[in-house]
Amino acid sequence: MNSILKLLVRDIRGSFLMSPLFLASMLVSPLIYIFVLGFAFGGAIPSVVAGGISMSYILFLAPGIIVSQFLTGGVYAGASIWFDKRFGMFEQILVGPFTKTQYITSKILSVALQGLAMAFLVLLLTSPLLSGLSVSFLGILYIVAAWMFGSLLFGSLSIIISTAVKTDEVLNVVFNIIMPPLLFLSSVFYPLENVPALIRALALANPLTYAADMFRAGMLGLQTSYLSYEVLLLVVESVSMFLLAVKRFKGIKI
Amino acid sequence: MTSDYVISVDGLVRAYGEKVAVDGVSFGVRKGEIFGFLGPNGAGKTTTIKVLTTLIPPTHGKVTVLSYDVTDEPLKVRRRIGVVQQQPSLEMFMTVEQNLDSSGFLWDISKEERKKRIRFLSELFGLGDCLKSKGPELSIGQRRRVQVARELMHDMDILFLDEPTLGLDPQMRRTLLDYVKKCASEGLTVFFTTHIMEEAEYLCDRAAVIDHGKILACDTVEKLRSRFGTGTIIEFTLAEKEVSLKSALMSVKGINAFSEPQEEDGSFKISADDPSGVLPELLHALFTRGLHVTSVNVKESSLEEAFLKLTSEREAKA
Ligand SMILES: Nc1ncnc2c1ncn2[C@@H]1O[C@H](COP(=O)(O)OP(=O)(O)OP(=O)(O)O)[C@@H](O)[C@H]1O
Ligand SMILES: [Mg+2]
Repeated sequence: MNSILKLLVRDIRGSFLMSPLFLASMLVSPLIYIFVLGFAFGGAIPSVVAGGISMSYILFLAPGIIVSQFLTGGVYAGASIWFDKRFGMFEQILVGPFTKTQYITSKILSVALQGLAMAFLVLLLTSPLLSGLSVSFLGILYIVAAWMFGSLLFGSLSIIISTAVKTDEVLNVVFNIIMPPLLFLSSVFYPLENVPALIRALALANPLTYAADMFRAGMLGLQTSYLSYEVLLLVVESVSMFLLAVKRFKGIKI
Repeated sequence: MTSDYVISVDGLVRAYGEKVAVDGVSFGVRKGEIFGFLGPNGAGKTTTIKVLTTLIPPTHGKVTVLSYDVTDEPLKVRRRIGVVQQQPSLEMFMTVEQNLDSSGFLWDISKEERKKRIRFLSELFGLGDCLKSKGPELSIGQRRRVQVARELMHDMDILFLDEPTLGLDPQMRRTLLDYVKKCASEGLTVFFTTHIMEEAEYLCDRAAVIDHGKILACDTVEKLRSRFGTGTIIEFTLAEKEVSLKSALMSVKGINAFSEPQEEDGSFKISADDPSGVLPELLHALFTRGLHVTSVNVKESSLEEAFLKLTSEREAKA
């Protein structure tokens, strides 16, 4: 069997066994965001107008929250390398019949698949609230691309950070610092059309925005005027980020 | 070095930044051999194993394992070796059985074969009762057993063992060493580090003594013992106190050295190359002087002595 696939099975088996509760807890915050924010802001904002289409706030919000799962899930790629280190499995795998590239690829695939499962569950649980979804064939392509390249980007990013820190405590601190700005300075929670110029500029530099906009294009048929640039940027950034992760990881000190 | 070496190390240097951990080491290991790598703490044993198992690259020197260069073809090396690292390693969230199974799975062992091997290894290493226990529920020694058993789930040409008996009880040490011996007799090459000399004596065909990153001696265990050991020691005690035997023993042939009792143990010590020749004459000489021997003990020179001598000589020079 393919080496990456074997490592992937090991990783997924490990994360299920580690704590099913932990996996379940990963579902809680997106559901809270969608239900609480969706209804609370939905009361204050009767409708959101974006890309010339008017819709309920919850319908706008849900796809964004689902995409941000790929970010929060992606962070786990780097964290799980530290789990392997802590229990001595990291060096053990690296003296096994695998390459470093196969190892980190399996980590990214693992978070991508777990992110997809989470996204699917969130979608399922919130679907009664989401009338007005319209998914075309092209839409599916946008959704798949947002998932694939989003996971690749954030998984690679978290691996790069994990190679740069000396302990897993520092890793946690770094994640806690960069997560909120990534999450809130993006188009996940609000359309960028009417926000202050600075926030808009920052959000437009944030790859989470690209993934969110692609996801919305897929699920709602809601397209920003610069969508094709976003697709291009997400693909280029995620592939470069992955190559950088491979390079950094190969030079890792053991 | 000749090609019958499955491990060949030529001028290996490995530095961590400024710190030189392994400093110009050369040796070879033949197929089917159990090779001991002996040295005190911080000598550079683990560092050498890490280079041999392709975990870290050499700073200088040429290292080939199974005739593959460790820098150029690390994956080919790794596909044919097994490694029990010194540091503990366990899939902490898996049960013992899942740990063994997962390792077999990663090594592409078929499901049926995995089951067979799990049965065999858990029996061998006394893990039958804790197959369903997870990492945190295991004692330290049990974790070590799992770590060793796990590495034996797959087939290999060379097994690297970095202080594998760490934390194991005496029975389990013996079980492990015997099993390693058996595998070696069937053609497995074993590279084994330890600072427990009894283990090395019991197990190894040849050994290298390393200290401060340099090899001090590399030979068969017997040769190391006779070259660097103190020879055979005959110890005896007398019922009579405060006697001097100097003149009595001068007449006995074959005695190399002699020491009067030290305060604590009260025994005379004689070093001799051929104890069976010396002993009758010695007893006779004592008997004719009317002395009563209360105990006699013949001690072979041990590898431990050789080891202590080698590593302390170096210390003295440094
Ligand atoms: N990652 C590292 N960074 C810096 N120095 C290191 C590192 N690993 C080992 N050393 C140093 O290299 C030297 C050799 O270490 P090594 O682990 O090879 O010793 P060892 O013979 O295995 O000892 P022990 O019997 O204690 O396991 C030591 O002086 C140690 O301090
Ligand atoms: Mg060591």
